[in-house]
Amino acid sequence: MKIIVCIKQVPERDAQVRIDSSGKWIEESDIQFAMNESDAYALEEALQLKEKHGGEVVILSAGPERAGTTIREALAKGADRAIQVESDNLNTLDALGVAQLLSAAAKQESPDLVLTGLQSDDMGYGQTGVIMAELMDLPHASLILNVEKTDSGITVKRELEEGWFQNIDLPLPAVLMIQSGGTKLRYATLMGIKKAKTKELSKVSAADFGASDAPGAPAAPAATLEKITQPPKQKSTQIIPGSPKEAAATLVEKLKFEVRII
Amino acid sequence: MNFLSSTLAEPQSFQTWEKLLLLALILLSAAIFLRRFAPILGRILHSKKDPNFTLAPVGKRSWDFFWEVICQAKVIRERPLPGLAHAFVFWGFCAFALVTLNHFAVGFGLGFLDPVGFFGRSYSYLAAAFAAACAIGIFGLFVRRFFVRPRWLGRKVSYESGFIAALIFILMVTYLAAFAVRSASPAATALWWIHALSILVFLPIIPHTKHLHLVLSPATIFLSRGGFSKIPPLVGDEDFGLVTGKDLTQLTSLQAYSCVECGRCTEHCPANNTGKELNPKQIILGLRGYLNEHGPASEQNIIGTYNSITADFQCTTCGACEYQCPVGIEHLPIIIGLRRGAVNTGMWEDEHGAKLFLALERGSNALGMPASDRDKFIQKQQFPVFDGSQEYCLWLGCMGGYDPKGREIIADFARVMNYLGASYGVLRKEKCTGDPVRRLGNDLLFQQLAESNLETLAQNKVKKIVTICPHCVRTIQEDWKEFGTPPAIEHHSEFLARFADKLPRPNQNVRVPQVSIPGNQNLTAEQEARVPQVSTLRPGNENSAVEQEASGHDFSRAENSPNPDRALAPANNKIVFHDPCYLGRYRDVYEEPRAVASLAGEVVEAPRSHQRSFCCGAGGGLVFLGEETGDRVSHTRVNELIATGASTIGTACPFCNSMFRDALAEKGDAAPQLLDIAQLTARNLPPANQQ
Ligand code: SF4
Ligand code: SF4
Repeated sequence: MKIIVCIKQVPERDAQVRIDSSGKWIEESDIQFAMNESDAYALEEALQLKEKHGGEVVILSAGPERAGTTIREALAKGADRAIQVESDNLNTLDALGVAQLLSAAAKQESPDLVLTGLQSDDMGYGQTGVIMAELMDLPHASLILNVEKTDSGITVKRELEEGWFQNIDLPLPAVLMIQSGGTKLRYATLMGIKKAKTKELSKVSAADFGASDAPGAPAAPAATLEKITQPPKQKSTQIIPGSPKEAAATLVEKLKFEVRII
Repeated sequence: MNFLSSTLAEPQSFQTWEKLLLLALILLSAAIFLRRFAPILGRILHSKKDPNFTLAPVGKRSWDFFWEVICQAKVIRERPLPGLAHAFVFWGFCAFALVTLNHFAVGFGLGFLDPVGFFGRSYSYLAAAFAAACAIGIFGLFVRRFFVRPRWLGRKVSYESGFIAALIFILMVTYLAAFAVRSASPAATALWWIHALSILVFLPIIPHTKHLHLVLSPATIFLSRGGFSKIPPLVGDEDFGLVTGKDLTQLTSLQAYSCVECGRCTEHCPANNTGKELNPKQIILGLRGYLNEHGPASEQNIIGTYNSITADFQCTTCGACEYQCPVGIEHLPIIIGLRRGAVNTGMWEDEHGAKLFLALERGSNALGMPASDRDKFIQKQQFPVFDGSQEYCLWLGCMGGYDPKGREIIADFARVMNYLGASYGVLRKEKCTGDPVRRLGNDLLFQQLAESNLETLAQNKVKKIVTICPHCVRTIQEDWKEFGTPPAIEHHSEFLARFADKLPRPNQNVRVPQVSIPGNQNLTAEQEARVPQVSTLRPGNENSAVEQEASGHDFSRAENSPNPDRALAPANNKIVFHDPCYLGRYRDVYEEPRAVASLAGEVVEAPRSHQRSFCCGAGGGLVFLGEETGDRVSHTRVNELIATGASTIGTACPFCNSMFRDALAEKGDAAPQLLDIAQLTARNLPPANQQ
């Protein structure tokens, strides 16, 4: 089974982000970057499928030079090779633009399965995978926790609201958007990193996909980013009075109906 | 018979056939010895070279050799009675070297020690004295091994050992008896032959029994890696730690063959003593077994038949084994080497371990908390930020930066620094030093963390670091050396001890009651003033509940503990100080924390203290792994500390503190209070410095 895993490099979870002078993006010089979390789960799912059924795992990533470290990390965890799509204007592309680039690159590989993370930790559109499926004319499913191979294709487990799950069968090839937490991630090893050094990382640019009206070329963005802002700080600490018993009851009440988390 | 007038009897000179027989027997004995010893030596020499090994400093090596081999100092110090018995056997052997040479020379009519000449006679008396001591010594050891039978010598009775003890006993007795018979008498001849045959039988037994240490251990001690728990660098692209025979270095193989199976390592091992599978002696003997079967060129995995991965990861890296071993075996590079092999190749699968690694791959601290938590804490405490103008960089560490209890310790230490007028600042960003991943054998992460921190420190032009965590101290000072030059660093016990005469005393500022009833709620105004400031230190962990649950050890327990640290008045002012492994055995710092603690009360000792201190169970990354099998190490230790009757347990490591906190939580109201030396000191600060 040939599996393509789309991976995005995003600011590290702990990063203290500052808005840059354009007001449209964050200052990149003083933060570190990491693999997008749900992409890490997509990679893990792919690696497990490969371990069970054999085949190849190919990393596909659209990103600037710095994304190379994240791609190497994916190779270190066990992917076989990688394709990095480079483009000067990645920053200004919307989900459609990125999906066009990725699907054009993916098509050339004729994969059996394309996995993406559910959404990126930075922009959070949650669109790229779905659009890719459309552009590649493949069936797709989202919010996936688990993938099993069957004789006729795959069975996937989707997580719905309120603890409901749905199992559906899909034919191959297909595109799946993987959600965080469905499996246990593996840690990176020294041996993996050493092996990754010798693995193939090919770079392609948007121009390689042909003229601007070709399906691979990014369309003029339908959505543009106007401005980003820091979230407003708001503190709403409440002290719940009463005996422990009363306080606990009030707390449960509030968590259920005000905050709605239980 | 007047013993002093008697001389050593020599046999009648031998016939030619007797000489030939003797020669044949000597050759046979030597041949069997060599046939058995040569392959062992071969396996040692054919192991891979040790990276970074240098003979320098020869002076220190020579001193260690003199002290540990010639003087038998360690053997005696750690087990005085059997140690002395052993020392007499050893010295007896040394004194006997010349006697033995002469003994065989006599057989060929070439004796050079004249039993009636001045030197020969004096020497024979000296040797006789040693022979007597040696005979008593070996008898004592025999009784111990076969009748007392300490658990750590193993359940199996070794008949070989008994046989060898008998041979040594016979050697000594036949020597002594020769003073009581006439020269050239049949009795003298008989004694001579028994003595000679005992030696010739003894020689071939050496290589395949623990008596190989007679030959190897002097070399092992002389050629040690030099430095406690010195972890060798990985070299080249194929080196991942101890995976197969190819990874065994000459020193490792030499050590594997030097083990005398005394079991001291296991006797002191906290894991083994609390019912876990780990047995450091077996780790070493496992390597020996592997070498015997597969040899140093084998690609067979070491973990498996000869080694258990479960056991390897039960080690707290407390170093008791390495410290105790009388023949210079360095367990930690071996155990950590095996872990490196398992982790660097991805062989080790452990839910908690993977969580820890992932937390450090993606984040900055071993507790898996968001880095912003640390920022908030720094703001709340109003710690000055290090800008290059201050003398010290106060390193928070994961515990000081994120753990509720660790934060209390670091905050109290900062108060004391303020009181002393020390200039310091904290870094805006700090990552875990990599201690847990270093000890768990994840070299990839360790290198990343070390390099990233070294870069931050260099950017900030840090010259001196001080911190409350002995693990940080050790890792920064020793382990980071592999990747750069770390700044000078000291532990807060060393810092505080240097200012001992400036530190506040009890009753200098506040009255510390010497005797009162635990749980007494009627606090004096002064006590009131002292008590509540703790609670202002509760950090907000709103968003960390998930991460906390994720780690094996419950770091949030500190907040729910029924045993508030600044508990009410203590029942006495006795403080039992617990030596952290990474401060004591790793750093040789024993007196400084005691000097600091003694300002707050009377320091009393636990039965196992100083070099023999018993681990808290946290080290080696174990605090982040799942539940222990068997008893908890921390509970065993806490019971021992409580039994001293002290009202306070004094600690100098935030990990020990955290482990004990959990263990004490079960003790209810009777539990002693638990305070770091920084907290013990801060309690005596004048109210103005309490904020
Ligand atoms: S370091 Fe400590 S826990 Fe590990 S084997 Fe040695 S004595 Fe046991
Ligand atoms: S490793 Fe050292 S301490 Fe342990 S049994 Fe062998 S010789 Fe004794």
